[in-house]
Amino acid sequence: MDTKETVLAILNDLTGEDFAANLDENLFESGLLDSMDTVQLLLELQSQLGVDVPVSEFDRSQWDTPAKIIAKASATA
Amino acid sequence: MKTIVQQIDDIALAHPDWPALTVLADHYTYGELKAASDGIAAALLASALPAGPVLVYCDQSFAAIAAFLGVVKAGRAYIPVDTHSPQDRLLMIEAIAEPAVVLATQPVPVALKTPVKTPGQVAEMMTVPLTVTLPTPAADDNFYIIFTSGTTGQPKGVQISHGNLTSFVAWMASFNLPRQPRMLAQAPFSFDLSVMSLYPTLTAGGCLQILPREATENLKQLFETLPQLPVDVWVSTPSFIDICLLDQTFDAVHYPALKQLFFCGEELTHATAAKLRQRFPKAQVFNTYGPTEATVAVTAIEITDQVLADHDRLPIGYAKPDTTITLVPGSEREADNHQSGELELIGPSVSKGYLNRPEKTAAAFTAGAVRGYKTGDLGYITEDGLIFYQGRTDFQIKLNGYRIELEEVDHYLNQAPMIHQAVAVPKYNAEHKVAQLLAYVVPEAPAESGLALTKAIRVYLQGVMMPYMVPQRFIYRDELPLTQNGKVAVKALIAEVNGQ
Repeated sequence: MDTKETVLAILNDLTGEDFAANLDENLFESGLLDSMDTVQLLLELQSQLGVDVPVSEFDRSQWDTPAKIIAKASATA
Repeated sequence: MKTIVQQIDDIALAHPDWPALTVLADHYTYGELKAASDGIAAALLASALPAGPVLVYCDQSFAAIAAFLGVVKAGRAYIPVDTHSPQDRLLMIEAIAEPAVVLATQPVPVALKTPVKTPGQVAEMMTVPLTVTLPTPAADDNFYIIFTSGTTGQPKGVQISHGNLTSFVAWMASFNLPRQPRMLAQAPFSFDLSVMSLYPTLTAGGCLQILPREATENLKQLFETLPQLPVDVWVSTPSFIDICLLDQTFDAVHYPALKQLFFCGEELTHATAAKLRQRFPKAQVFNTYGPTEATVAVTAIEITDQVLADHDRLPIGYAKPDTTITLVPGSEREADNHQSGELELIGPSVSKGYLNRPEKTAAAFTAGAVRGYKTGDLGYITEDGLIFYQGRTDFQIKLNGYRIELEEVDHYLNQAPMIHQAVAVPKYNAEHKVAQLLAYVVPEAPAESGLALTKAIRVYLQGVMMPYMVPQRFIYRDELPLTQNGKVAVKALIAEVNGQ
């Protein structure tokens, strides 16, 4: 799986939703992710993709859509 | 014996300049807290209000705490309802509690039958001079009433008396807290975990370190705020500190003031406790346990390296000295070489019962010289009195520290117009904790897309139930498995979700 597929699989596992056709869906505004899910998301990104994001730099507005998460993960993986 | 409020006032009279609480950049002294709460009390006593408690619609602010103390000074009990509560819950609590008046520290979003004091009016009340003598409460008079989740959507108001709270606060003071502790106050006031910080701090002349929800929602902001708080006693759910532990700098080097950490509200896992011992080797870590019905917590144990070595699943501790914990007669059964059963708590911190709900009260509480409460929690007790928690006897779960009745979630799900039939199912992690709440849903009509349907259901649910109760995942099915009695086979779905 490439980074995009892995991210989508992680999000699918957290929310039950397939975002392949909804990459710009706002995950926080729609309540699909809460702060506990965010923690889970970061842990999965780290273990599955080696993306190491210091939580202290996790600004929600930069991670609020599947597209943004994929871009961030691709840039740091 | 002085009441809780008198103890706080004594500190204010002796040391009016001592800081009582900080909310991010704002600081408030004991003198200010006394003046504001006296004002609220004076205004309440001067107005011809009918009997009944006072609902405080509150955020995590100075005004909220001043309102709580003012209401108690006026001889009434307060009902804290957090501003993040949905309107329906607020309306239901109003209907059950029949409050005399509502004090709002933030605008109330819905029309209530009860007269409401707006935030501006509450601020004015705080400036009213107190010229009358305050009433003296009886030990059994209610101090606060906190509403918990209840089945079929009807919340239950747990009545906590002056005597209940005094018992709890005296016990907390026995933990060798720092003088004038600076305790973290992160939980919203409608969650009784907040009481663990509130009164133990204020009766000891300490300073509450309020971390409001706005500062915890975005991790970046949380980790900017956290190091600024000079907290020496940590109070939170294990779930909240799990977030904080993700930051590698959350340790004794960066938080040298931290001396004690108290956990309550959900199971403290071995993994979390072990990590805390590593990060804060000189701090004391306490696991505590208790339902709202017995005033915050009734058992505790310090989690030492020895306790970690001895137990894979951590004990919840020993009963506080004035409380007896036993197994409900007839509930015992032999399991894993232990006599397990439903835990019953008997002692002076056990509530008199649910406000205006005599049947529910009779079902859960036992009368007697000292009141008892049947918790619905399964556990066992060793010969030397160490207690272990093993789960629930019913469909109640804890998610991130919040108590949720699955039947209540089901009730709301099945009222949603776009849902034909649905059932909530918890998903557990390897450490017996509920990691996610799922909903299995048979839609009313075939939807264009799952995502659109999920969003529509979420919008509906957010209007009627607490945000923490809304399932994280919705799984759509054409039908749900049924038991022989024709009920949805929840246990089969729980087994399916958890791969059993």
